[in-house]
Amino acid sequence: MKRLQLQRWSSTALSPRVRTNNRLHQQLYSTGLRLQSTVSPLQSESAISENVEDASFQNPDAMRHIRRAHKRKTQLQYPSPPVEAATQSAKLAALHARLYLPSRLPLQTLARTLVDASADSNVDFNNESLATLGHDLLANYTSEHLICTYPRLPLSVTFAAMYAYVGPKTLAAISKEWGIDNATVPGGEVDPGFLQFQRVAPGTAVEDISQLKSARPYADQKNWRMTVSSKIFYDDEFGDAIKGSVALGQGVTDETARATFVRAVLGAIYLHAGRPAAKRFFEQHILSRHLNISELFNFSQPARDLARLCARENFEAPVAKIVSETGRKSRSPVFVVGIFSGQDKLGEGSGSSLMEARERAALSALKGWYLYTPINPRVPSSMEEEGAAPWKPAHIDLGELLPTEDG
Amino acid sequence: MFPGSFPVGVRKPCKWVNLKNTSITTMPVKAIKTISSARNGVGAFILQCKRLDFHYCNFGGSSRGMLSFLTKDLAAFAREHPQIEIRVSPRPAKHPVIKGHYINGHEKAICVRNLEPSEIMKKTNILKEANGEKLKRTKKPVTSLNESVRGIWSPYHGDLRGV
Amino acid sequence: MKVNMARYEAASSASVDFLDRNREPPLHPTNNRTISSPQFALSLRKGSLTMFSRSVLRSFASDLRFAAPSSISAAPFPQRACLHQTAWLRTTQTQSHSAIPDTPLGAIPRVQDTQPSTPTSTPNTTTPQTDADFPNAKKPVAPSFDAPIEVTKSLMSTLPHLVGQSPHYVVAELHARPFLLTEGDHLRLPFLMPNVKPGDVLRFNRASAVGSRDFTLKGSPHVDERLFECRVRVTGTESEPLRIKEKTKRRQRHTKTAKSKHRYTIMRVMEVRVKTPEELLEEGAVVVEDTEDTPKVEARS
Repeated sequence: MKRLQLQRWSSTALSPRVRTNNRLHQQLYSTGLRLQSTVSPLQSESAISENVEDASFQNPDAMRHIRRAHKRKTQLQYPSPPVEAATQSAKLAALHARLYLPSRLPLQTLARTLVDASADSNVDFNNESLATLGHDLLANYTSEHLICTYPRLPLSVTFAAMYAYVGPKTLAAISKEWGIDNATVPGGEVDPGFLQFQRVAPGTAVEDISQLKSARPYADQKNWRMTVSSKIFYDDEFGDAIKGSVALGQGVTDETARATFVRAVLGAIYLHAGRPAAKRFFEQHILSRHLNISELFNFSQPARDLARLCARENFEAPVAKIVSETGRKSRSPVFVVGIFSGQDKLGEGSGSSLMEARERAALSALKGWYLYTPINPRVPSSMEEEGAAPWKPAHIDLGELLPTEDG
Repeated sequence: MFPGSFPVGVRKPCKWVNLKNTSITTMPVKAIKTISSARNGVGAFILQCKRLDFHYCNFGGSSRGMLSFLTKDLAAFAREHPQIEIRVSPRPAKHPVIKGHYINGHEKAICVRNLEPSEIMKKTNILKEANGEKLKRTKKPVTSLNESVRGIWSPYHGDLRGV
Repeated sequence: MKVNMARYEAASSASVDFLDRNREPPLHPTNNRTISSPQFALSLRKGSLTMFSRSVLRSFASDLRFAAPSSISAAPFPQRACLHQTAWLRTTQTQSHSAIPDTPLGAIPRVQDTQPSTPTSTPNTTTPQTDADFPNAKKPVAPSFDAPIEVTKSLMSTLPHLVGQSPHYVVAELHARPFLLTEGDHLRLPFLMPNVKPGDVLRFNRASAVGSRDFTLKGSPHVDERLFECRVRVTGTESEPLRIKEKTKRRQRHTKTAKSKHRYTIMRVMEVRVKTPEELLEEGAVVVEDTEDTPKVEARS
């Protein structure tokens, strides 16, 4: 199979020359000419360096001083560190090694992932495009993992599990575990190893930061009931309303900037090192985290749900029976109640009253049903690897108990 | 309302659950939003020491070993550990110190006055391998986030066994 | 295999100079070195894999049973080189073999050119030197993989029940101490493990039991190491707070203070996995008839 030219792809995303009219490049290319080292320069070097060469002082100390002052001046004219600074930063090189990033991912791109759109509005120098790609990759890999591993998981729990794996809070925590520090204020002279973003002004209400950009009709009617199925269509991968982009000069929160950075790193790996490397990075950093999905459920009426589930699946109606009990007349009785559907025991629970024990038993039966896992689940993206075994669809049976208002 | 609003519905109301009195406006399952917790080393491994600061004095005699360590051994150490940012800075008229900065934000410092370069290397390795946590005395060797695999023993299950 | 043997020859003939041995830094996950150290990479005695009594297998509502995600453990990362040290287990040096990942620890017969020797001591320590100083249970056991693994029929029939029910636990033994481990656990060894550094991946190959919620495979005394995989990653070193013990003597004003501050190796369990019967057969396992003292997968009563 012929390999795709990744270098070409990356040049599409990185080069200032190619500018398509999609949403990655919405913003105008307004700032002056800035060059990235991974692409060839459009014009010859600016006249600044020539001026420095002209002023040929004999005194080397004075010369060095002038050069330094000059460098600082050129740095200060940009809102984010210049591309040449990436190779000089010890912090950035250490970060590259700490994450075991592939050597094909240059330091310059890693520096770019650390520049938030609020620090540098130029889309060729901030991480917005990389983060968009990384965000889609993260959502894709996580959702296929969850759906293939737990085919019967209810949608609301799937949303919560997605949030737990790749939600902004988790991504911000990951970036902290990578040892990323914030720059106090973004600027050209800052070490490129710091995360650079414009902070939200203190006292700003959280709702003001991002305008709601949902396609949902009557989105501003906060009190109206929203069904779970409509969230698939209108909302983002966590079941929350889609947020619009932050207005220019508004600033972002620490959590948003950090989440954007982690997404951008995944996007950069995908572009420079390819799909297998990105997938491996995802598995090692995201999927290896600990999440107990059975703790995400919040049933209000487990016994009723179980009855409805059994009716739908043509099981016999569930019956609660006492398995064992002790101290019924004492002040601390314990009842163990099992829920049976015909001869099959669906679940069991214990409690200090019969009702409590029955609720717990119904809970365990429902969780046992919802958390069904096929043996050796495979995700669709595993077929992308070379030499993958032929796809055999896993046996997935009927899923969640549908909420009534969806019908 | 009931049972006509069920898409896949209940055939007949079960007697043991009083369906009529429950309100059907609530959703069956709600979810609790949490975040997943990190397990460093299960997938990727991140060294917890992120920065080492070496402070020395050009004049003081207690820095003699440190100076020779900085000139001879530090480059090799830095090459072996690219994931650690290394800073060297003079601190005149003070004893030499190595400071480790960790991912959890903590900091550990070791004074290396009058130490030989080999001893300083040992101290550097101590800082490198540390995780930045506060020193604690623990009795249990294994700490786990997972639930118990075999479950918790229950006195209400199983047969009676003779003593 | 030739390469490995050559490495072994070089390692055993060279003088013990592992302290200043140059090791390449783990720049990339593919370079994760696996380390074998004789005290910890303990192998199994032959014939310990033995028997299985049939027991009542609970199959009730098996698809309703909660099963944790097993995708990570089920698909081990290909770049994680398998740790095995059959050829050079007896050397005290740590070996890095990132360049050539070895074949997984299988049942393929391996050449045993020499008899297992006792661990040689390092020149700059004063730890026990002779064989007699080590208690029997702590001695590293040389692998005896001159024969493929023998699996009884009853084990082959009951093993799928154990494999299919995740998560798994393993009672791994180090220095004759049991540690009950599951995937993702944090392990603080009660000692400082020599010759390892952060990022190293070890494989624990001596276990007294491997099991899941309802089934347990018990060894007598140990489970054959070719039946399961338990990998841990060294994450660093921890220290306890300084302890000061005051030593006093009668009628003397002087008080001696004894200080101690031990250091411990900390680890993270990466993987606990039981091999499926298909994998065992692929690795060359031989199915034999049941005998009296075969190891068994025990079901919960």
